[in-house]
Amino acid sequence: MQSQPPTGVGLGLRGAFLRDIVRGDADGKVAFLEVAPENYMHRGGRSPKRLATLAERFPIITHGLMMSLGGTDPFRDEYFDELKSFLDRYGAPWHSDHICWSGMDGAMLHDLLPIPFTTQTAKRVASRIREASDRLERPMAIENISWYLQLGKSNLDEAEFITEVVERADCSLLLDVNNVFVNASNHGFEAQAWIDAIPLQRVVQLHIAGHEPWDDTLLVDTHGADVREEVRDLMSYVIERTGPKPVLLERDSNIPPLADLLEEAASLQVIYDEALQKHAREASA
Amino acid sequence: MNDLRLDWMNALLRKRGADEASRENLRAFAAEHGIEGDDLDAIEAVGAERFLVYRSLVHNRMRNTIRDFIERAVARLGIRRLKADFADWMEEVAAHSPYLRDVPAEFVAWAAPRWAADDSVPDYLIDLARHELLEYDILNDHRGGESPTGRELALDKPLRFDGAARLMSYAYAVHKMSQDAEDRDIPEQIPTRLLVYRDPSNKVRYLELTPLAHAVLEQLIEHQQPVAEGLRKACAALGEPLDDQRLGTAATLLADLAERGVLLGAEA
Repeated sequence: MQSQPPTGVGLGLRGAFLRDIVRGDADGKVAFLEVAPENYMHRGGRSPKRLATLAERFPIITHGLMMSLGGTDPFRDEYFDELKSFLDRYGAPWHSDHICWSGMDGAMLHDLLPIPFTTQTAKRVASRIREASDRLERPMAIENISWYLQLGKSNLDEAEFITEVVERADCSLLLDVNNVFVNASNHGFEAQAWIDAIPLQRVVQLHIAGHEPWDDTLLVDTHGADVREEVRDLMSYVIERTGPKPVLLERDSNIPPLADLLEEAASLQVIYDEALQKHAREASA
Repeated sequence: MNDLRLDWMNALLRKRGADEASRENLRAFAAEHGIEGDDLDAIEAVGAERFLVYRSLVHNRMRNTIRDFIERAVARLGIRRLKADFADWMEEVAAHSPYLRDVPAEFVAWAAPRWAADDSVPDYLIDLARHELLEYDILNDHRGGESPTGRELALDKPLRFDGAARLMSYAYAVHKMSQDAEDRDIPEQIPTRLLVYRDPSNKVRYLELTPLAHAVLEQLIEHQQPVAEGLRKACAALGEPLDDQRLGTAATLLADLAERGVLLGAEA
């Protein structure tokens, strides 16, 4: 049975602080945990046991890394079979992955690579999302990535492309507001206008994170820094419009002590709660 | 269904020398891979350096994972050599597992023959890399921790062992080397046989084996021979008689492994 989706600010579970969370350091301090199934699939020993323990104490949301929804290789049966078993076990209300490609000709490149923003690509990606959803027997949500270039000539902008994909696939959207900020900064568009252009009614979850400069002209989505004020504002902007959603704080490099991350999550929760109040006022007006 | 733009970017990420070629003439490099028309113009407008950000991100992520997993072997190999080997691996094979944690083992499996054939690489390096990978492999093996069979050992039955247990053979005693990546100690060159397993508290344990013990366990674990047949084949492989002394040694070994939770009982 699939669980009801949590709302509020959660934390991405990482090996660096897994033991601290098992010990109870985050109990009552985050609304949920998000896990990357690839970190636990086809794996035994201590980590899966710890995850099983945590699943009894926290709502779990799953977010994958390697589905390569924008790729051209056929899906791997073994990967999907294992993923489905994992999702069945943890009762995830939906499963999410990225609008990107990650490998070709059987080789895995272990990164989130950009796809052309074209109608033809949107059709292909939407078809693969529907296939993934059928294989996993649950709804899919797709995440907008940070992209650092346009791969060839596009006939759509990113917001149009994402809209085309989610409507063709009839899937949900995991809106990463840090990626919106990074893309807006790198490509010179207005982040709030971009958010206004996507189908917000399809958003089921948000991601929020920090980024770092690659050089003077490029920000990179490293998840290696605290969340910037402008990105917090984007989260607030979205929650004011969508109402309650799970918001996931991601940190993958330069990981501080768990206490610091929990403090950051708590500060985000304050902003989230204020945004919800605005949403409620708007709804009742 | 192929997409030429993805095919081209795949080449840019994986091909040896693609960084120099794209910096020299991005348009020509893209055209060589079938890109044309508006796509070619758009790619040229982006410029090589921005595309190469992705090459750096992809290479750095996987190469750093390799460094993390085989830290001592890489420290002895040298970063420059690792980069060169990694670039060749990316072009020729690359990773195939969807799990990032599998990248180091995939790389070492490919690199080991070229390191073995290269006099500039220390002879013990392959054993050291395999050994560094082993601990992570055992700790995270999806097998292991199975329940005892509840059946007494019998000479005519194969035995069941913990699924995460491994037999390892090295030419060097790499398991005795310093854990400090800064050390440059050289392991003793001595045939080394280990049984490596995960204990109930999820710690990796190493058990040094005699040639006879290794030969016996090879038959029982890897070839799943019935006990009597395994003992006979093990002694035959060593050119030794299966006498009372060796039977006693084998019995002691199996009793010890049962106590450690590695031997789970007889198969049905």
